[in-house]
Amino acid sequence: MESLFFQYPAKNKIERQSHVGVVGSGDLEVLVTPSEEPWVKVEVRTGMTGFEQTWEKVIERFCNYYAAQATIQVNDFGATPGVVSLRLVQALEVSGHHEIS
Amino acid sequence: MKSLKVSFAELNARERTKALLDEDTFRELLDPFEGFESPHLVRQGIVPQSDDGVVIAKGNINGDPAVIISIEGSFQGGGIGEVSGAKIAGALELALRDNQNGIPTRTIIVYDTGGVRLQEANYGLLAIAEIGSAISALREYTPVIGVIPGKIGCFGGMSLTAGLCSTLIMTKEGRLTLNGPEVIEQEAGIQEFDSQNRRLIWNTIGGEQRFSLGFVDYLAEDDIDSIKNIIIESTRRTEKSHSRSEQVQLYRNRLQKIDPSFPLNSLDLQRKWEEASIEEGERWIEENSDESCIESRGRTWFTALTTKTKSNLTPSVLCADEEIEDERVRYISVVPNLNSRYHRAREGEVGLEEGWTIAHYVREAIEQDDGGDRRAIVAIVDVPSQAYGYTEELLGLHQAGAAAVDAYAAARRAGHPVVTLVVGNAISGAFLTHGLQANRILALDDEKVNIHVMSKQSAARITRRTVQELEEATKKTPAMAYDVLSFSTLGALHELIGGVNASNPESEDIKLIERKIVESIDSARSGPSDLRIRLQSLQAKDNRSASIKVRERLETLW
Repeated sequence: MESLFFQYPAKNKIERQSHVGVVGSGDLEVLVTPSEEPWVKVEVRTGMTGFEQTWEKVIERFCNYYAAQATIQVNDFGATPGVVSLRLVQALEVSGHHEIS
Repeated sequence: MKSLKVSFAELNARERTKALLDEDTFRELLDPFEGFESPHLVRQGIVPQSDDGVVIAKGNINGDPAVIISIEGSFQGGGIGEVSGAKIAGALELALRDNQNGIPTRTIIVYDTGGVRLQEANYGLLAIAEIGSAISALREYTPVIGVIPGKIGCFGGMSLTAGLCSTLIMTKEGRLTLNGPEVIEQEAGIQEFDSQNRRLIWNTIGGEQRFSLGFVDYLAEDDIDSIKNIIIESTRRTEKSHSRSEQVQLYRNRLQKIDPSFPLNSLDLQRKWEEASIEEGERWIEENSDESCIESRGRTWFTALTTKTKSNLTPSVLCADEEIEDERVRYISVVPNLNSRYHRAREGEVGLEEGWTIAHYVREAIEQDDGGDRRAIVAIVDVPSQAYGYTEELLGLHQAGAAAVDAYAAARRAGHPVVTLVVGNAISGAFLTHGLQANRILALDDEKVNIHVMSKQSAARITRRTVQELEEATKKTPAMAYDVLSFSTLGALHELIGGVNASNPESEDIKLIERKIVESIDSARSGPSDLRIRLQSLQAKDNRSASIKVRERLETLW
């Protein structure tokens, strides 16, 4: 198991907590908690080791695009980058991010 | 217009609770943001899930207050660890408290579980014993509804708890069994069960097969509305019906009609099953085998502690009533019987006949002592495992185990002090069936006393690790260890008794154990009739702290 941390500047407020997904084969769980700070902080725990660069690209793109002020916990069980991106956007949608909902 | 079916099985655990509860009444307790994930998985390099794979939701079902316990099969195969187990047990205990206080709370369990989570081994085992105890008690107040929609199904120790439910609902896709096909194949060989043969699996433990032999009450379509309607109908039922686990004589008679040495045909089986009545009928007479060739501490200690004639309803289950000091004691011990009709249950394993016979002896004591002094019941435990076999699963080993669990739990509630004396092996389903429902558990401190949930080979196969990796993990998680000293750190033992010759007890050893048994009986008589004492010990406060915290938080949120 590997733990990865990412942090990027953020400016968009979100309305509420959200939780999507399960830590099941090829899937992941995302927990989003709104934050007052101008940052988006992401912690990723993944069972697959050695994919740090892929994670960085996926998370960076997501964080820069939506810039949601939030703390995000990702618990991954071997999801592909496509699934990861979809789950992250889905979680923001449930959180009430203005650009998505 | 006929509406399309909407699959229930395809939903995840949380969606399932929302689908069953009335609109806008869903309220989750210990939700993903509460921070109750497993404290044991990260250390083993496994990513945990924020709800540990169990969703507890309160709300209404057709206007009635209800709690739904839903297990997530996609996370670690729905395995029961310390936190997930405590969430289930804690919710059931609170539902019981509600119903005892006149607050009707409907209780529904959605099963999707492989049984004990092997990475948390004995934590899961203890939790499942507590879940069984709570269902057995709760059923006296309100029907407990179990749903097995499928995907994973309901396996291992959790199948014993399903066998305790008032009503079981299953779809064709569901499977219900004590031992999973892979474990049977690992333990007994491919000639016993081919775990790759899907048709064989569904014809043995699938929903249709279970329904045809009456192990479940409803075979439901995989459709949300159909399942919800059956649940409403079942929760509304007011007349108290006997659950399967209480129908001991009927099931014993059914087994008597079957000769397991011939291949069993499904239709034939169904006919014989239906013919059996609840009156005592004909029975197979088994010769007692030559016992000397197979060592059994269960027999050694039974012989040491008893003097009177043993009942021999089933040669592998010894039972005798004795008196120590002023206490009347019924001893029950499971022993090898090389002549058993069931070839997978000849070496002291707990099989079909053993489970139902234990239930018989325990319930007999409850009935005989009705209205008078309640004798103590002492389970002498040396059980290498449950019986791993095809016939066992086809004929409902999980139900036989549930019957014994239910009988011990009922005895405890009726006021019989139930004491377990572990003298040898106490393994997984066998220990859940025979021993883990006791008020007090005594164990001999001896290197041949082992308590765990699965043989190393099988556990390695199921968790896809090598035996070496497994042993490595054991060092980090004492609950995964096999020795009794590690087990004792979990705080469920009343006493670990040292200095006793466990294989060949001398008269001082026997006197000492008798004194310990009497002391345990006294202690049980003055304590609560449920299992809460296991969480009150000093060791439990340290080593089962998550089990305690989950319950405390659950109570606050309830």
